[in-house]
Amino acid sequence: MIQRISYAFRETIASFRRNVTLSVAAIITSAVSLLLVGATFLMQRGFDNLLVQWRGDVGMIVFVRPDVTPQALKFIEQNLKSQPNIIDVTKLTYLDKAGSYKEAQRVFAGDSTTLSLLSVETIPSQFKVVPKTTDPELVRSLASQYRTLPGVAGVSLAEDEFDVISTLSGFVRTVTIAMSLVLLAVAVILIWNTIRTAIFARRREIEVMKLVGATDWFIRVPFIMEGLIQGLVGAIFSCVGLWTLNSAWTSGVAGFKAGTGVSSLVVPDSYLNGVMIALLIIGATAGGVGSGVASSKFLDV
Amino acid sequence: MIRLENVSKVYGTDIPAVRDASFDIPKGEFVFLVGPSGSGKSTLLRLINRQERPERGNVWVAGRNINEIANNQIPQLRRTMGNVFQDYKLLPNKSVFENVAFALEVIGKPRHIIAQQVPQVLDLVGLGDKQDRLPHQLSGGEQQRVSIARAFVNRPLILLADEPTGNLDPSTGEGIMSLLEAINGTGTTVVMATHDHRVVNAMRKRVIQLDRGVIVRDQERGVYE
Repeated sequence: MIQRISYAFRETIASFRRNVTLSVAAIITSAVSLLLVGATFLMQRGFDNLLVQWRGDVGMIVFVRPDVTPQALKFIEQNLKSQPNIIDVTKLTYLDKAGSYKEAQRVFAGDSTTLSLLSVETIPSQFKVVPKTTDPELVRSLASQYRTLPGVAGVSLAEDEFDVISTLSGFVRTVTIAMSLVLLAVAVILIWNTIRTAIFARRREIEVMKLVGATDWFIRVPFIMEGLIQGLVGAIFSCVGLWTLNSAWTSGVAGFKAGTGVSSLVVPDSYLNGVMIALLIIGATAGGVGSGVASSKFLDV
Repeated sequence: MIRLENVSKVYGTDIPAVRDASFDIPKGEFVFLVGPSGSGKSTLLRLINRQERPERGNVWVAGRNINEIANNQIPQLRRTMGNVFQDYKLLPNKSVFENVAFALEVIGKPRHIIAQQVPQVLDLVGLGDKQDRLPHQLSGGEQQRVSIARAFVNRPLILLADEPTGNLDPSTGEGIMSLLEAINGTGTTVVMATHDHRVVNAMRKRVIQLDRGVIVRDQERGVYE
């Protein structure tokens, strides 16, 4: 068994040396495509942070002072519910202080100054309002009316803050996903071609192997490993690139003024680690599948 | 050991390469397949080692109908056979020792068995002192001896040889033939395709003659006509 494994490794390395140019091309392509895939994930997560407040067609947020009396809170809620023509009352939700604090940690992900000023005690709670009407002016006039209610800290409108970003986020997502899929396909084709070349270079040896009774798997495994390693090495490079980009971005964002919204576009380390593990798995799988298909296609008995 | 029953093989839509061939080769026999180029000798060998499958008829090897065995059984079948070719099919970047060891390595034989069997078989073919040479440093006859060593190192039941003397001068060819005869003497069944009438006439073994895919003669202690 150990002998077979060492044989497979020796053959893999030898074959890699024989096809340096093609192998390097396959590795670079998979690295670039996986870097794009990873960047897409991170950007999406950043945009999600920014938009988390407005998820579910929320059009208006009524912030309630943290020291509000229960009567005043009740009064605000009744006021909101008294406008069933403008507001979708069934979708009206109240996010208490604990929930608001949790949300704020994502909104201010890259803004440690603001985060340090907030606590579960001092944060405003919020009513998330989904408008029923399509007329923005009606929502706007309602907003100015609510601003004067006792206990209300402020009212934000989605229109003013995040409509542009929401559209932009959707567009960026589509473009980056499409580009990374195309590049991933190119990487698989390049790996496939490397394996085909490797098989062609060793066709004499393979013929002899078959005639002396080597099993198909014995012949195939070194080629599959070669493709798998190419995908994996590409993925490792993409992880290094992604980590570097993310560090540069995070430290850059720290220099922005607090409250500009840019500070939301930061992802937690645990998320970055998750994405990098996903990239390694995608890279190894794509390489393994590409070379596996190529080796079974070109190695027929 | 080898039995063909009404075997026909057609390449593409052309005339058949082998038509309705039947014969029975018992264990330990030495058989020549003779006939001009394109008469179907090589196709018969390729049917026996399952590189080809017939359109009609059955091929039996060591009691098994090899047309019915599954693809994953082919390697086991091939391990019971050795193959020798006109062009030797040695791996140019491996030494004599490595070329022979390769045949054992790829079927998963442990290293100590390889270290023991390869020198033995190289001594048998008379190349014990040239183990570290590369194929291009050997003469044609010596290269063919390496190829025979590789075919025989696993002690196969059957040795299939396709024009093994085709590239060699007569005296070198004689040496190869006596080697094949010695291997046959150990009980290995030998089937050799050739159109070299000198070797056939010198050996006086069983001769199966083909003409355009049809067996036209099957004679004990025959000669090349």
